[in-house]
Amino acid sequence: MSTAEILVEIALRFATLSLVAIGGINAILPEIHRVVVDVEGWMSSAEFAELFALAQLSPGPNAMIVALVGWKLAGVAGALVATLAACGPSSIACYIAWQWADRLRQSRVRAIVQRALAPIAIGLILASGYTLALGADRSPGAVALTVVATAALAFTRINPFWILLAAGVAGVAGLA
Amino acid sequence: MTSPIQPSTSPSLAAISRGTLFTSFLKMGLLGFGGVLPWARRVIVDERRWLDDREFAELIGLCQVLPGPNVVNLSVIIGSRSHGPLGSLIAVSGILFVPVGLMLVIATFYASVAHEPIARNAIAGASAAAAGLIIGTAVRLLLQTRPPVRGLLTGGAAFVAVGVLQWPLLWVIVVLIVLGVAAEWRASRAIEPKR
Repeated sequence: MSTAEILVEIALRFATLSLVAIGGINAILPEIHRVVVDVEGWMSSAEFAELFALAQLSPGPNAMIVALVGWKLAGVAGALVATLAACGPSSIACYIAWQWADRLRQSRVRAIVQRALAPIAIGLILASGYTLALGADRSPGAVALTVVATAALAFTRINPFWILLAAGVAGVAGLA
Repeated sequence: MTSPIQPSTSPSLAAISRGTLFTSFLKMGLLGFGGVLPWARRVIVDERRWLDDREFAELIGLCQVLPGPNVVNLSVIIGSRSHGPLGSLIAVSGILFVPVGLMLVIATFYASVAHEPIARNAIAGASAAAAGLIIGTAVRLLLQTRPPVRGLLTGGAAFVAVGVLQWPLLWVIVVLIVLGVAAEWRASRAIEPKR
């Protein structure tokens, strides 16, 4: 496949997945894996796992895994196309949904829906943090770091940057 | 206090300059190691005070159940509330710009750094903390919004079903939204006077 063909393929595949990525990119991760490894044969499963580990560690939304896949396949252009394709359609859908929600004159309905959604979202966020912790906490020290970070963010105003830095230092010191 | 009436454009959000919009979301993306949400909450609620914790939690509720990354959706909506479609573009660019750029830099150099024990240990520690930051953000929102029992039940169910049991995300969300809205509607009928 030529680069142009790969870019088009990436764009089409990721754009269609974008609209069903409910709950974030993690929801479509198995499908991305299937497409990239099984269907198109663009990379091996091991290579995909390596990209995933890298994406987990780096800044930014989970969408970064798609940037990495795009980069691996077609360099910088691939990363940009992949990110735009994965985030574009869902962002447009979100924009439209918001305009519609905004126009809901019956503010009572909207208030009800929003009050119902908030705790569900909190539960889902808790779930994603928990899943990350399961993957990252490979020692009692790591568990302790997770607990301390949780408490620091929940009960204090300490800038998370320092928490991460301190945790990195603790990791080097052998705690994690 | 819950305010059921929300204006279509918040005057305070419309007052944000486009430059501030971009740099604020840039900041969120820049520092979001292992997860942007804690930073988004901190910048939007604590630093800029664009929303309070309750408004943030309700907005994130919508962002979480719509397709796409929750923080990208958040930037679309806040951007749109301050400067319409252009605002959405500005905010999304801000939040994705640095992560994508940094990602490419890291990926390029990762191979040479990956085997350094110091790098691996530091990343191991930071990853553990990053998970804690996300859990902590959820806890903080929980404490600030103080959901009633019905909210605790749906939220708890979401956590157990998705986090522990790993049931299919889409079905869990659909079922919980239906149950949650039904419970919320019943509760509102019980306390509000007949119109």
